[in-house]
Amino acid sequence: MAYVGQLQRKFMDYTKSLYREGIVDEQFTQLHKLQDESNPDFVEEVVTLFFNDSERLLNELTNALEQQNVDFKKVDGYVHQFKGSSSSVGAQRVKDLCIAFRTLCELENKEACLRCLQQVKLEYASFQTKLESLFKLEKQIAEAHGTVPTLD
Amino acid sequence: MLFRNKMELKPQVSDTPSQHQQQQKQEQREKHFHVLAVDDSETDRKILEKILSVSSCQVTCVDSGDKALEYLGLVDANHQDSASPSQSERSQEDGLKVNLIMTDYCMPGMTGYDLLKRVKGSSWKEVPVVIMSSENEPSRINKCLEGGAEDFLLKPVQLSDVKKLQPRLLKSFDQSCTNLPDIDPMTTDNSKSNNNATKRKALSPEPSERRPKMKELTVL
Repeated sequence: MAYVGQLQRKFMDYTKSLYREGIVDEQFTQLHKLQDESNPDFVEEVVTLFFNDSERLLNELTNALEQQNVDFKKVDGYVHQFKGSSSSVGAQRVKDLCIAFRTLCELENKEACLRCLQQVKLEYASFQTKLESLFKLEKQIAEAHGTVPTLD
Repeated sequence: MLFRNKMELKPQVSDTPSQHQQQQKQEQREKHFHVLAVDDSETDRKILEKILSVSSCQVTCVDSGDKALEYLGLVDANHQDSASPSQSERSQEDGLKVNLIMTDYCMPGMTGYDLLKRVKGSSWKEVPVVIMSSENEPSRINKCLEGGAEDFLLKPVQLSDVKKLQPRLLKSFDQSCTNLPDIDPMTTDNSKSNNNATKRKALSPEPSERRPKMKELTVL
């Protein structure tokens, strides 16, 4: 019993820290509003889709920026997509970096774009790690027959 | 907190005949309000599908404007315009019903605006088209509304956005279901809800003036 309580507290604290640090925003809360008993893994499913999509986009971006003559319109297209999907799942910091990235695409500054891509990759990796930890906690709570506290 | 956010139409007590009728109406809507959702982003499609099904809509998702046109019978599988213009009409006669199209604006190939124009120039022109975009650009919004869009939603789309749309759309849906004579569905009540819905849209004066008058919808 005490174990479940501990896990639940850990979950709540961890969730609060994600919001506090700006890793996730209001949209993350919105996703939870769509989750219910009939679809209890909805948020995880959506975020997993985002992970898959992101990996693809980051690869495309890396390739596009490695070209001799960079096609900035193409790069911007990928960044726009990434901005959209990160916004949809509430990955606030990733989204904000994408917004900055788009400006650099407009300026057609290859060096700055490459640096920004690096930052995006780091921020995305951080998001991925943290969300995976969060989902793991949820599973542990469920396995211990506890209920996952809801976000308020 | 774990409540499903279904649009609140069910009466609490269902003993009187009129409340029973309302219950039946709600069930009819649940079975028949069909939304065609168009978005190239898999993440966004999944979210939109969930929002719509939580709102009691039947949902079909496609990932491009071309696929949407194919679905509606407006192009064939080779993306040629349907040789016979009546192919889309035949789809409708065969019972294909689409009560609302929700489309992303920015898509590779055909944009949401292009799709809007194609739909409005076809036998599906009575179907309301809602455009979604992450860019809060007044000129883009104006262009879409003037092109016949029912509404313009800023992404990320939330459950509350669809809830705000529903009363307006369901009103005409109900009227066409019961085959009422030609009544202008835009009552003063609707203009009130229009003003409430502006919070998440671009700041622009008097959106209700630029919104095209809603024609009576026929359930196709």
